[in-house]
Amino acid sequence: MADDDRFDLESAGTRRARWRGLIGIAAIRLWKRTIQTRSGRLVATIAAVALTIALLVIVTGVALGLADGGALADDDADVRITPEAGATLSAVDGVEGARLGATNERAATIRAEDGIEHASPVLVEPVQLESPNGDPQTVLLVGVVPDDEPRRIGGLSTATLEAGDSHYANGSYDGPRTGELVLSAAAADRLEADTDENLTVTGPHRSNETPAPSFTATAVETGSDDDLETPIALVHLSDLQTIAGADSGHLADTVLVWGEVDAATAAATETYPDAAVQSAESTDPAALFGDGLAFATSLLALVVGVVICASFVATTTGMAVNEDRRTLAVLESVGYPTHSRLTIIAVSTLLTTLGGALLGVVLGIGGIHALNTIASATVAPGAVAQAHPVFVPYAIVVALLSGLVAIPYPLVVAARTSVLTEVGR
Amino acid sequence: MAACAIDPSELNAEPMSNHALEQVVSATGQASTGTEPTTAVRLETVTHEYGSSGGHTGGDRVVTALQNVSMAVQLGEIVGLAGPSGSGKSTILHTVSGLLVPTDGSVELLGTDLTTLSDRRRTRLRRQHIGIVFQRFHLLPSLSARANVALPLVQAGVPTATRRERAETLLERVGLADRTGHLPGELSGGERQRVAIARALVTDPDVIVADEPTGELDTATGADVLDLLTDIGRNRAVLVASHDDATLSVADRVVELRDGQVSTDGR
Repeated sequence: MADDDRFDLESAGTRRARWRGLIGIAAIRLWKRTIQTRSGRLVATIAAVALTIALLVIVTGVALGLADGGALADDDADVRITPEAGATLSAVDGVEGARLGATNERAATIRAEDGIEHASPVLVEPVQLESPNGDPQTVLLVGVVPDDEPRRIGGLSTATLEAGDSHYANGSYDGPRTGELVLSAAAADRLEADTDENLTVTGPHRSNETPAPSFTATAVETGSDDDLETPIALVHLSDLQTIAGADSGHLADTVLVWGEVDAATAAATETYPDAAVQSAESTDPAALFGDGLAFATSLLALVVGVVICASFVATTTGMAVNEDRRTLAVLESVGYPTHSRLTIIAVSTLLTTLGGALLGVVLGIGGIHALNTIASATVAPGAVAQAHPVFVPYAIVVALLSGLVAIPYPLVVAARTSVLTEVGR
Repeated sequence: MAACAIDPSELNAEPMSNHALEQVVSATGQASTGTEPTTAVRLETVTHEYGSSGGHTGGDRVVTALQNVSMAVQLGEIVGLAGPSGSGKSTILHTVSGLLVPTDGSVELLGTDLTTLSDRRRTRLRRQHIGIVFQRFHLLPSLSARANVALPLVQAGVPTATRRERAETLLERVGLADRTGHLPGELSGGERQRVAIARALVTDPDVIVADEPTGELDTATGADVLDLLTDIGRNRAVLVASHDDATLSVADRVVELRDGQVSTDGR
């Protein structure tokens, strides 16, 4: 061999190049095994991680759906003000939480700020209504203050409601009642009512001393697909406050604000310094922490996900390393110390997990849409699960955590490899 | 040869750098005689026992693979190891390459006793000074020929571009310039062994150990590989273990082993 084959090994090397090289070897081996040699073990590992992560994403999506409040939260407001300590109002059982006070005046204050298009308190109350042709039925009445622009609140449009709230009359509640009401399709079905139908309040809300208040349906809205089955009706706020006894404190469950998000957030925070102000852009995974069932469900999914994922990864990568002992022996024979060989195994394991996580996120979000489609077509009133962008980093972190939990097993298998046994075969 | 020196502070020894080795090799490629630095490998009364205690029978089973073996290999010398299966040929190669620490005796590589070093230091020394050629090639199936050749350079921290250039140069030297991107599975047996030889050479080692390098090859291909080995053996110490007379015929000296002992040294 010619003398120009001389190579100065040590002066040519750097620590950074070594690390890049080790990670590169792990990545290239994985890629070639996946694409060219189609390693069944590798595909099984990725599939197992992907399915586990997909399940985690779907269950977390269902939990978020549980925590999000269902159809009542379906609005086009830019900022939402809710009581800080209030539990989320359930569309199903009408459990009451804390409410905001002096909402009529404060909403007017917010409306007067620059950059604000509109602000409306929203009061939700289950009320029994009766149509001339039907039996008394309970629907969720949603009291709002409409303006000239059509807004969507509770999945219904305020377009057919008269702008303003005439009955409020600066807090005296003696102004003329419009008696207007917008029915959701489900509410109309339940009440066997249609547009222009006259509906009378019955049941516990009816006072024997005064004539029963009544409403006239100005529209029947189909709402969004998710909310078809929820019996909701929009009315003017002061009408509902009077019926519900919320007029004395000018109470409401939330205040919705439309306008520039920054201005709306600032005005809302200034007006309600102790309330939770949330912009529509950040639909809240934090809601999971405010709902016991949703939080427990998502936490359980997290624990089960990590345990199952780590078990799959540990088992399959451990078996893969066991089959790959010869490679480890070759690496040792060409001068790779133990920590470098284990680095390759660890990087391979984490990259495999990461690949599974990315696939799992796609499957999970697809699964949420599929679940909603199936649920809407069969048993549920609408969407039962919600996807959120934060699911992507969440799923990846969970998968990598599982990978870290799983790594010791393949490392132990790798560390026990006897180079002489393997290269001697 | 490589300018890399064994770091004395790390090894607690007085090793010889490859530059120092070159200085004692004559211009013709023959090592000078009678001077200590020309000895690349020296085994002194090496004994190795494979054994296990306990077991199903409850007794001790010990197999003596090497017994009081002493030999030396000079730079520029090709030494053949001959002997029947189980005579200790592979065990000698493993001790020389630092893959195995013998039960007793000393194994000096370039003046450094491998038996006194930690695993990590032995591995480092192997990477810097020894190239190994296996009977069954032992290439990584998912890496290209070029990546297989460059494998030892990764651990040495050689940058990608330099690794690539070095690997392609060596593949060209072994006649595989047009096979650099092929996976081992796409190469013939002879081509795979050439890739393995290129990998063994990539760090410019002082010592090449080859265990039955032609064992998996047909006669013609084996002859080509032997030509390559003898060519690269210039200025290096080469230890070749084989059953095959044709393979051993390229050696300057053949050491015969029997039952773990040197029966003839061939000097």
